[in-house]
Amino acid sequence: MTSSELIQIAAGLIGSLCFGILFNMRGKRLIAAAVGGLLSWGLFVVLSHIIFNEPINYFIVAAVISLYSEIMARILKTPAAPVVTTSLIPLIPGGSLYYTMASAFEGSFNTFLEKAVSTLKLAGALALGIIVITATSQLLFRHVKQK
Amino acid sequence: MEKLLDSIMDIGEQMLINGAEVHKVEDSIKRMFSAYGTKRTDVFIITSSIVVTIHTDDKAYTQTRRITETTTDYEKVHRLNELSRSICKNKYSDKEIRNQLAEIAKSKKYPLWFEFICYAIISGAFTLFFGGGIIEAAVSFIIGALVRFVILLCDKTVKNKIFSKFVSAFIATSLAYITLRLSIISAVDKVIIGNIMTLIPGIGLTTALKDLLVGDSIAGLLRTIEACITALAIAAGYFAVAFLTGGII
Repeated sequence: MTSSELIQIAAGLIGSLCFGILFNMRGKRLIAAAVGGLLSWGLFVVLSHIIFNEPINYFIVAAVISLYSEIMARILKTPAAPVVTTSLIPLIPGGSLYYTMASAFEGSFNTFLEKAVSTLKLAGALALGIIVITATSQLLFRHVKQK
Repeated sequence: MEKLLDSIMDIGEQMLINGAEVHKVEDSIKRMFSAYGTKRTDVFIITSSIVVTIHTDDKAYTQTRRITETTTDYEKVHRLNELSRSICKNKYSDKEIRNQLAEIAKSKKYPLWFEFICYAIISGAFTLFFGGGIIEAAVSFIIGALVRFVILLCDKTVKNKIFSKFVSAFIATSLAYITLRLSIISAVDKVIIGNIMTLIPGIGLTTALKDLLVGDSIAGLLRTIEACITALAIAAGYFAVAFLTGGII
């Protein structure tokens, strides 16, 4: 792991922690979200040395973090969604969005299209990863309750 | 029954206002009413409205709630969720629910100055995250706190989220551009990205896509459009500066 990767992981942890505070999370739930932030980017860094496809890594990380959040939600007796959204803050493609805007301004249509598609791919992979876990758990629990 | 409907609607309303997901609120309302033994409960929720009809043996009652402003307060969501669970177990009277709701309304919040610091830290941290240096992070830190101040001003005056995002993005980008021209920083993109991270509707978009795929199509579409417009507002703020200065690099 390079030093810039370590900085990223630390920044991810701090980012999730501060967003958790902005969302008025407290106590154990805030800690769970901050640890989630650490895990999410830590896992991404590890994966990026093995699989060289960013969207796929995003998908895997989102799925793992959703699973983590579902487990934490059961333990802490709280909804899972706040933990997922706060843990995945480091994966929000802010940089990608910025470069999309910048290329749109520069007027090179091909670069813009390329950047826009890659931003959408990341956002889509993130959402799909969450959905795979939460939707299955939701549908599963809804089904069980209706019996 | 009518009073009970009223107080349970209030729980649902508060959940939605404080950032709970649509299907979660729908589910909670249904469960609470079935605990009280209503024959049938029809719940229709989108991000801006709740409609509930409960059927008892001889009558049907309907109420609606219009939701205009939403925030994200997960402490309240957590406590409302706890309340709804214990209602299913203990079947409180409507008065008791009122008292509990009043208690939740008073739940603690972090002080405002702490939010300023959080905005600053988030901006600084993500500038480092995307490869900026220490000086860029420090500049971003200060701009982050100023962005929170701009949002505060917008909240007090125009009360329009889209507009406030546009102004925030505009201010953040122009301040970053000024520090670049003063040769304080060398990588303006890292500073802007750090500040964009506090404005971006990333969470909105993921929840939106999730709503769509779980089957809450209308709520999902509304949220998607909201997220897209917010992203456009941020882009507009950036473009405004870019046009005025003839390009930011």
